Amino acid sequence: MGKPENGVNRRNFLTVAAASGAAAVTAPTGSNEAKAVPSVARIAPPSAAEMEAEIGEARLLPAAVTSVGPNARPGSDFMVDVLRALDIEYVATNPASSCRGLHESINNYAMNKKPELLTATHEEIATAMAHGYAKVSNRPMGLLFHGTVGIQHATMAFYNAWADRAPMLIMSGNHLDAAHRPPGVPTTHAAQDPLALIRDFTKWDDQPQSLQACAEALFRAHKITMTPPYGPVAISLDAHLQEGFTENDLKIPKMTRVSAPSADMDALKEVARMLVDAQNPVIVVDRGARSHRFQPLLVELAQLLGAPVVDQLGRQNFPSRHPLNATDRARGVIGSADVILGLELADFWGIVNSYSDVAQPKQGRRLKDSVKLVSINSRDVFMKANYQDFQRFQDVDLALAADAEASLPGLIEMVKTASTPEHKAAAEKRTAAAGAAAAKNLEKLLSEDAVYGWDASPISTARLSAELWAAIKEHDWALVSRDARLSNWPHRMWNFDKHYHFIGDSGGAGQGYGLGAAVGAALAHREHKRLVVNVQGDGDMMYGPGGIWTAAHHNIPLLTVMHNNRAYHQEIMHVQRVGNWRDRGLGRANIGTTLEKPHINFAMMAKSMGVEGIGPIGDPKELAPALKRAVQIAKAGEPVLVDVLTQPR
Amino acid sequence: MMKMILSLAAGTILSSAAFAADAKRGQELFMKAGCYQCHGTVGQGANTGPRLGPEPLALESFISFVRNAASTNMPPYSAKILSDAEMADIHTYLASVPKPPARKDIPLLNSK
Repeated sequence: MGKPENGVNRRNFLTVAAASGAAAVTAPTGSNEAKAVPSVARIAPPSAAEMEAEIGEARLLPAAVTSVGPNARPGSDFMVDVLRALDIEYVATNPASSCRGLHESINNYAMNKKPELLTATHEEIATAMAHGYAKVSNRPMGLLFHGTVGIQHATMAFYNAWADRAPMLIMSGNHLDAAHRPPGVPTTHAAQDPLALIRDFTKWDDQPQSLQACAEALFRAHKITMTPPYGPVAISLDAHLQEGFTENDLKIPKMTRVSAPSADMDALKEVARMLVDAQNPVIVVDRGARSHRFQPLLVELAQLLGAPVVDQLGRQNFPSRHPLNATDRARGVIGSADVILGLELADFWGIVNSYSDVAQPKQGRRLKDSVKLVSINSRDVFMKANYQDFQRFQDVDLALAADAEASLPGLIEMVKTASTPEHKAAAEKRTAAAGAAAAKNLEKLLSEDAVYGWDASPISTARLSAELWAAIKEHDWALVSRDARLSNWPHRMWNFDKHYHFIGDSGGAGQGYGLGAAVGAALAHREHKRLVVNVQGDGDMMYGPGGIWTAAHHNIPLLTVMHNNRAYHQEIMHVQRVGNWRDRGLGRANIGTTLEKPHINFAMMAKSMGVEGIGPIGDPKELAPALKRAVQIAKAGEPVLVDVLTQPR
Repeated sequence: MMKMILSLAAGTILSSAAFAADAKRGQELFMKAGCYQCHGTVGQGANTGPRLGPEPLALESFISFVRNAASTNMPPYSAKILSDAEMADIHTYLASVPKPPARKDIPLLNSK
């Protein structure tokens, strides 16, 4: 090896660069941490002799990394400045060589603070974390993945986020330039159009070829992901931009404040007139709540109209104990409605029609012939063709392509203006009737449904939900998992009245969402010191159990309660159903659908990753003390898991 | 006509099957046939299927419904999959499930 130049040779480049560095320092834009930022080693290129000694006959490639002027700084440091200007708090990653430039800049330039790297053991988990985080914080998390294999790993989770309208900023590495990229694996992982794979279910993507274009692409991406309907956006950050240096005076754009698309006022006036004049107006809502503003608005509108609200629970849209909450009586109120207002519905057709999954499927209409249907839906503003998450077409009388949360204030004012004293009296009468029906329904549920199987083992979902409610209700709590698989008992028993109490489900129904989303949501709740509860399916858990380790590693408090029915339960029912249609029996429905022989011990799994694991618990009498202990651990700031053996649903 | 045949057949078989039914065997069949997947292991019901016990439909109606469930999302069970005698055993099992405690005796169901 030749004589080192400037005291640094190629073999100890990494060591020296990480430990000391030298030269080319530029303070982070808008940061007061410039003094804490280590400078970057300005390394002279290896001599021809050094190159030959190391790789044989060689020629120096004209890579940007070797062209270092006195004011040069790494391109990926500039990317950090851009992420800071975008107020990106976290970047979840599974490390990848094509992202090493930006990874190193976050570690050593940003000092792993705003953005902070979150280590995930799979890109699908990282993406689910961003998904859950966004639904609590109403802001995008950054993701940093390998360009080809990392994006491939994460693809299903992107689809969930797309279908669920969750914002996130996906960043991936690439080596586009075939003449300069490393051979072997980096070339195998390179692609001409690396984001083509996910273009059908992301809102926008780009592959900028200069640092200035990179800044503008990231800002455009941020604006697009945060404009309703929210959705993932992706930027391919080529390795030559990350690892290259720049001396140019680059400009970071200013933050764009986004106004959500609200409905046309004339159209809202017409909707208000239809609702006010209706005898039985009904509101159906799905992904209505983007922020804390939505729920109070919907309560005000429902009360003005005396309109029962059917909550599809895509978000925390409406208080669970409000007298106008008719979620458990959906079929009845929809069937008797004369005007239905659908807010951000994922599937309007499925709400007003029936479909029987029998050998010869049957379809039917649930509505009165005279019913008027109105839709306010931001998905009408932006839609793509291939994947069918937009569901079957439902003809409506008036479709407002607009964001519901942004449109409700205008609609409320229009309803107030249109309402006469007679209208108000009728609304009060409807509210009273709905309240009485809701109370009667709840009494039936608790007296006639919840009590059956109360002492059963495996533990009934009603018992589990009641025990869990008793354990958490005195705390400031949040449920970060869907409750449909618990036969909806939480939304029947618990008092969901704050916007952060619930975040809906995966959107795309892709398994592997649950734990990752819970960890991301819990991270967003952490600063508020909330008690975060994740009721976790066993099948879903096995897609990405590494989320347990991430929660432990990053000190994210989270109470995970296993809904361990030892099966892909829904799939058992499907196989059973077809077996019956074909009259071939049910004896083998468990093949390929159950998680038995051996049973999975989730408490041991948690312990193996540094998380306290309790259980498995099959005796309902043991549940209360286990949950009490688990709540204490979570309130102390740590993740904890309770494995509960449950009834299927 | 078909309904009549089924009804007559059920009536004939039930009188003998009901006597012979064994709740334990019925429980095993309830699990083996996968009834518990939608209705719970003690027939308590869920959002996937209604409650079946401890006061099930009359046996004749019970069998008729299970055989002719095509009008619902429930898959029909033919006699090839579950014989009338086996259905009677399951019925006996469901009838044998202890009655649950009353809501008033469960503090968790009376708290806010």
